[in-house]
Amino acid sequence: MSISLTARHIVKRFSGVVALAEGDLTVDGGEVVALLGANGSGKSTLAKIITGVLAPDEGRLEVDGQAVTFSSPQGAIRRGITAVYQELSLIPDMTVTENIWLNHEPMRWSVRVDRTQARRRTEELLALFQGAVSPALMPETPVAALPPDEKQIVEILKALSREPLLMILDEATASLDARQVSRLFKLMDAWKADGMALVFVSHRMEEIFRVADRAVVLRNGRTVGERAMSDVTERDLVTLMVGDEPSAAAVAQPDAAQPVDPSARPRLQIDRLRSGRVHDVSLAVHDGELVGLGGLRGQGQDDLLLAVFGALPFTGKMALAGEEVKFNHPRQAVKRDVAYVPGERGSQGLLLIRSILENFQLPSWVRYGTPLKMGQARQDAAQMGASLRLVMASLDAPVSSLSGGNAQKVVLGKWLLREPRLLLLNDPTKGVDVGAKAEIYQLLEDLRRAGTAILFYSSEDEELLNLCDRVLVMQDGRITAELSGVSLQKENLVAASMGAVEQAGDQGGSSS
Amino acid sequence: MKKVQLSPPLLALLLAIALFLLGGVLAPGFVNVEQAINIVRLSAFLGIIAAGQTLVILSGGEGIDLSIGAIVTLSAILVFRIVDGQNGMVLPALAVALLTGFLFGAINGLGITALGIPPLVMTLGMAGVVQGSILVLTQGQLVGKAAPIMSTLISRPLVLGIPGVIFIWLALGAVMWLLLERTAYGKHLFAVGVNRTASRLSGVRVPRTVLITYALSGLLSAFGGFMLLGFTQNVFLSLGERWLFPSVAAVVVGGTILAGGKGSYWGTMAGALVLTLISSLLTAVQLPEAARQIILGVTLLVLLSVYGRQRALRE
Amino acid sequence: MSRFDFRRLNARHPYLLALLLLALALAVNYLLQPNLFQSRVLNSNMRTFLPLMILAAGQTIVIITGGIDLSVGAIVSLAAAVLVTNLSPDAAAGQIALIVLAAAGVGMAAGALNGFCVAFLRLQPIVTTYATSFIFSGLALWILPRPGGSMPQQLARTYRSAAPLGLPLGIYIAILLIIGWTFLRSTRFGTYLVAVGGRPDAAYASGVPVTWVRFASYVLAGLLAAFSALALTLLTSSGDPRMGDAMTLDSIVAVVLGGTRLSGGQGGVAGSIIGVAILGLIRNIISFANVPTWWQTLVDALIIITALAAPGLVRLLRSRRQA
Repeated sequence: MSISLTARHIVKRFSGVVALAEGDLTVDGGEVVALLGANGSGKSTLAKIITGVLAPDEGRLEVDGQAVTFSSPQGAIRRGITAVYQELSLIPDMTVTENIWLNHEPMRWSVRVDRTQARRRTEELLALFQGAVSPALMPETPVAALPPDEKQIVEILKALSREPLLMILDEATASLDARQVSRLFKLMDAWKADGMALVFVSHRMEEIFRVADRAVVLRNGRTVGERAMSDVTERDLVTLMVGDEPSAAAVAQPDAAQPVDPSARPRLQIDRLRSGRVHDVSLAVHDGELVGLGGLRGQGQDDLLLAVFGALPFTGKMALAGEEVKFNHPRQAVKRDVAYVPGERGSQGLLLIRSILENFQLPSWVRYGTPLKMGQARQDAAQMGASLRLVMASLDAPVSSLSGGNAQKVVLGKWLLREPRLLLLNDPTKGVDVGAKAEIYQLLEDLRRAGTAILFYSSEDEELLNLCDRVLVMQDGRITAELSGVSLQKENLVAASMGAVEQAGDQGGSSS
Repeated sequence: MKKVQLSPPLLALLLAIALFLLGGVLAPGFVNVEQAINIVRLSAFLGIIAAGQTLVILSGGEGIDLSIGAIVTLSAILVFRIVDGQNGMVLPALAVALLTGFLFGAINGLGITALGIPPLVMTLGMAGVVQGSILVLTQGQLVGKAAPIMSTLISRPLVLGIPGVIFIWLALGAVMWLLLERTAYGKHLFAVGVNRTASRLSGVRVPRTVLITYALSGLLSAFGGFMLLGFTQNVFLSLGERWLFPSVAAVVVGGTILAGGKGSYWGTMAGALVLTLISSLLTAVQLPEAARQIILGVTLLVLLSVYGRQRALRE
Repeated sequence: MSRFDFRRLNARHPYLLALLLLALALAVNYLLQPNLFQSRVLNSNMRTFLPLMILAAGQTIVIITGGIDLSVGAIVSLAAAVLVTNLSPDAAAGQIALIVLAAAGVGMAAGALNGFCVAFLRLQPIVTTYATSFIFSGLALWILPRPGGSMPQQLARTYRSAAPLGLPLGIYIAILLIIGWTFLRSTRFGTYLVAVGGRPDAAYASGVPVTWVRFASYVLAGLLAAFSALALTLLTSSGDPRMGDAMTLDSIVAVVLGGTRLSGGQGGVAGSIIGVAILGLIRNIISFANVPTWWQTLVDALIIITALAAPGLVRLLRSRRQA
């Protein structure tokens, strides 16, 4: 049995923002299609629509020529479509066997789970990766005890246990080592030969060339091209992802960066920092310098910023203006004039049900004495609101009543009230409307001119290209390329993010 | 408070007035000045005891303090014993009681923050420890005597026929308002209750804030025990226990969100009035204890389903 | 690496710690009370522990799914009130069966109220079951205003003294509970329980009916509370509208002692049954160790709070060592 799936003109909007403008994809049994695109191009959205996790706003899905609508992932599973996601769907305390067979366990007398059979079939599945995983990965091992790569493998086997006709692997190789990846590719070859259809989403160019038959490229939510792998080069694909338009010229470059005095002590210097997903990162940011962090999502940028802010323990050295520091709590960083604007506004940056005033002043209350000088606090907050051109009913309105752009201004404003010397930003324009984005850019530029050191991660390549003096590209927790001046070009940034290092300018590191 | 909008405290206050008038309909003679003063007086004790509970519930993280009843009893017994009828010993006794309550509360806070014990289990276990300490302390003999000045200042009519406890309660209300709205601690407490991650990432020391909150809850419960002794003049081993459930209920009725981060002590004060009225009404219409318990439980369930819904799995 | 090994050990032998504690408690108890293993003493211990064992089994199920039930004690009181007010000392077998069924129904209905509020209305479990506990206590007080009532004498005598093959009846029932749990755990529903408690979002994504699983866990706890009431009233031959109150905390403590994690997703009934035995033996020890009467409550509470703090203490010490 074999499947043929076609997605036509799929449109998906999230609260007004178009994530997918025209997604088209066809995949047939017996082939591997690579889904390619820069950050935010709509790959994951398209994948989730195909597997029933998201409902499309427009367009149609066809399975074997018939139009279908999936109301839930179960609907897609019944048609033989499963997915392996990065954010794991495993339950930590259950064993490998229990996780793989959850909700489709082999049954005995239709009451009891047939553990012998489940165990045997798990062993068969695990045997597929034999030699590439540790011997401790057994059917009875609790998933919580597994390292991330083996969890990912269990996730893959869980999808496989449904005996799917179409499997989507969304960045499934991100946490696997080389041996495991090559085993997965051998298996994918075998599944392909058996007639399975495979959609492979990856950010590693060499993997795409190794495993895919065709590549479908998305740009800004649109399918812009489809190529057989046999007659394209890496360069062609990158060009397709970036587009023909000369990117950097479209937006005005900031004035030439103020020359940074290399002899001055950097505002922030870190040396061989390790923390969470970050491995041995060294970098320096000077006063009045806006340094960008690039790369695909989840390559360690979050953890790097959190570690600098004292929110994650780290090893390695860190110095602020030449003075070595070791923060155990963000409070200590705040006291040393460091500020952090988190990526998830709602869950990490704001007290949604509290007032705008309280959100502005949260890091600063202690400065207003006891009892708090509320008049002063209100005045300061009102001034900040005015200077940010914050559109609000009153300072007492809950921050949840604000639009995304205005809410983000509150997150920025609460730190600006403390006049930080080092500003860490984690994707600050995510879900922000165009007008507010421009204002935020202007604000960052003003801060930089005023001498603030800024370290800025963005998932939007345009932002990095247009705002930053230098961009450090991260992959797998390491800085793999540094782009500045002439090398700070969209093609180079995309190529470096995808691991096609030889095109990333002269400063690129070695490929892993 | 310029908005003309029915905030939960106001709503609870209106409910209290409606209940009072309903009392007049159901039980003739229910509505008069003396009865009103008496109900406010009874509410004052509940309100004072529920002050610490308000802080704990505001702190979020499934925060609840079930050791309040036991600490009320311990405090009353300590004061009873130390004062032993002498007016001059009232202040030292109060100091000892407050310190004891603070310490037990701080241990609760330590267990919850440092050891990660869920508040429910920690404070329930602490209630047992406090009860055990009471037995060790008293060896079954409740010796002592309340000081005359306590009943004069607390439960007897003081000015214009209004007993002192009502003034003390209003003063506590003002102090609690200052604490919550005009100190950095109060602002941090709300923040911690709403979102601990965001609070931490804004430089708030979350564990410290939580620890202080439980310690304050112990301290305020001890104060409640002191006040209660001024009213009852006598102590017994289950003195505080029956105030525990109403202390949670008063906070919920007053509109403080169980998930934390939103609410006020004014609300709890109004909630205490509502609960005292419900209970007085049920007594006035001569409902048995069983029915009173059931009605209290149902009331709380209904209020919970109005305020306390949790997030759905699929949004 | 040592952390992984610990987790694996813990996962493979979840009751290891509980068994060690049990052995320790047994040894100390035996030293203080040399006739501990005599059939008569064993029997008396088992029949005293059994009501809490049954109750803790129900609490375990709720806790594994990530909830908690503070009303189980009140449900015991309520079901006990139903039993003792309707059964005369010489009740016929048919009547006994009918009333026991009625009590079981009352327990399940009470659990269904909890489950409805927690699973369908999504109310916070702690305060919800605290509130319903007042409803159930109130009903118990309504049915049985003061201590009294009666139980069928013949049945009570059997419960107290039956010892097939020389072992107390209680042991058989405890084993039955463990077998029942093992069976439940081997069904798809059993997997659901653990999945829902472990990571509700992942369970939901895998198609597990999360809401119904939560609801069912409370109904099961209510049913087991009713059986606990049956054992308790057979033991005392009478009822008291507050007789279950103190059992709520004990049931939670036993579950924690037995290695079930309070945040859900891990654990089992066998551990909780061991936990009850430990708890009971500790109380035996306190009373045989000549702890002065007035100190007993405090010692008991301190032991309990230490046991509750133990997992956190271990975690704290380990993270200190690693840092």
